[in-house]
Amino acid sequence: MSDWAGVFIFLVVALIFGAGGIVTSFLIHPRRQNPAKLEEYECGLPTRGPTWVQFRTSYFLYALLFVIFDVETIYLYPWAVKFQSLGLFAFIEMIIFIFILIVGLWYAWKEGALEWK
Amino acid sequence: MMPFDPSALTLEMLVAALGLGVLILGLIVPHGSRHGLGWLSFFGLLGIMGVALSMWGDNRELLSGMYLLDNYALFWKITFMLSAALVILGCMRYVDSMGGQAEYYSMIIFATLGMMVMASAGDFITLYLGLELMTIAFIILVCFRKMEAKSVEAGMKYILLAGMSSAVLLYGLSLLYGLTGSVIILEVSRIIALQPVTPALVLAVVMLVAGLGFKISAVPFHMWTPDVYEGAPTPVTSFLAMGSKAASFAILLRLFIAGLPGIWENWTMVVAILAAVTIIFGNLVAIPQTNVKRLLAYSSIAQAGYILVGLVTATEAGIKGVMFYAFLYVFATVGAFTVATYFYHVTGSDELKDYAGLSQRSPLMAAVMLVAMLSMAGIPPLAGFVGKFYLFKTIVDGYLWLVFIGLIMSMVSVYYYLRVALVMYRDEPADPTPIKLPSPVAVTLIVAMVVTLVIGIYPGPLSEVVNEAAHTFFMH
Repeated sequence: MSDWAGVFIFLVVALIFGAGGIVTSFLIHPRRQNPAKLEEYECGLPTRGPTWVQFRTSYFLYALLFVIFDVETIYLYPWAVKFQSLGLFAFIEMIIFIFILIVGLWYAWKEGALEWK
Repeated sequence: MMPFDPSALTLEMLVAALGLGVLILGLIVPHGSRHGLGWLSFFGLLGIMGVALSMWGDNRELLSGMYLLDNYALFWKITFMLSAALVILGCMRYVDSMGGQAEYYSMIIFATLGMMVMASAGDFITLYLGLELMTIAFIILVCFRKMEAKSVEAGMKYILLAGMSSAVLLYGLSLLYGLTGSVIILEVSRIIALQPVTPALVLAVVMLVAGLGFKISAVPFHMWTPDVYEGAPTPVTSFLAMGSKAASFAILLRLFIAGLPGIWENWTMVVAILAAVTIIFGNLVAIPQTNVKRLLAYSSIAQAGYILVGLVTATEAGIKGVMFYAFLYVFATVGAFTVATYFYHVTGSDELKDYAGLSQRSPLMAAVMLVAMLSMAGIPPLAGFVGKFYLFKTIVDGYLWLVFIGLIMSMVSVYYYLRVALVMYRDEPADPTPIKLPSPVAVTLIVAMVVTLVIGIYPGPLSEVVNEAAHTFFMH
């Protein structure tokens, strides 16, 4: 048995553990509705007024900037793992890459994308 | 495996650095001195073009065919940079009055970068990357006058149709990848030559033709063109008409002639019909137009039809015709659109009737418009005639009917091109104040006119350069 079989068994058990609970409770739970059960539970207050409100586009800008730096880590991580063997060239490349992203952040900042007006 | 040589990407890196540099400088310098950014972009592009010339004759494949360096790609790159530089030179005053110089120029430069990546792309992913870089930069440029409803509407239409055509193209590319197991165009061509033609392959080719048909605005994929061309800022329209179209032709040739040999021959009739329909439609619908930008939009649809003729034969001569025509079309377009840009800047109108008496108000503008339009119509001794000659020469054997359609429609097009001339030269101006041209605009106009005349009279040198460039197309 290879080492990976252990990982596979772990995965299967984890799936059964998670899905098993939900399935079992779905099969055996009593189905009696009452108003208290249909209320929001620990997730906030009941909404007031229409829920189809418009959101500020600033949310979108924040999300966009977040995604840029979130994706950056995908590139940083393998680079960091192989840092020793990649050498100076990759280091400079990564600096240029981060520099380009920082220019983007700088631009967004300067243009007022981070201000909440 | 050969080590990756970064110097092969010198041009792309320089253009990217220029674009970033313009954007950063836009953050640093005060508002009052931002008009210098236009000059920086212009001279930067000229400098990079000088570097590009020194790379002529450097033909190789990078990363096992993912990126192709050859004279073919280099010729396109120089064409793109030249058109970007001319657009920037001709529109500085217009951009100063609009604001947002840093974004504007850097977006033009990034669009150019996308086109350059497209010209060199040797695999589907690089190709798509370049295409999207260009398209996204263009989307921003099209809705640059964000306070004007028309510009925003044009941007919205462009983003939807660009997204749709990209999706169709991507679907075609992924089908091809599914059939061959490779994304590298040269490998795809080798694998596909060994396979029988399956319905899936036909579907893939149809998708590719449709996806790229949108980009070159060939009929029946042209619907977005007039609205977007009318709503976009005029310099952006001119860059769309020449740059975006030329880049799409560059990958069209690469994909179909290099990537699908043997298959493509069965498709020549489809392309011939597509070209014929595009030529007929573009020219006929241009006739009743009263807005100069819309007229130029329909004329550019017709021009795309003429260029498509070069794809019918799928030979070196056809490729040469496409490249030659695209190159001289840059100058005719720059001439016509720079006149339209500056005319709008002064009078705030794009309507043809307001062009009345332009020859009295500004003889240079009227002359350049006339030369550009006659060149597009293909009247000798202007460059457009030579270009059409090279294109149609390739199809005389076998597609004589298409030659006749091209000929008749060229005559039809003379009608609406000369209508503009008639309004400019015969009618009396409503407001006879002379239009004073700032020197960058005047230089752009003179360059456009002189090059159009010179290539028309003495096409030899350019023709040889294009021959050399087209020759490297089949080298890989």
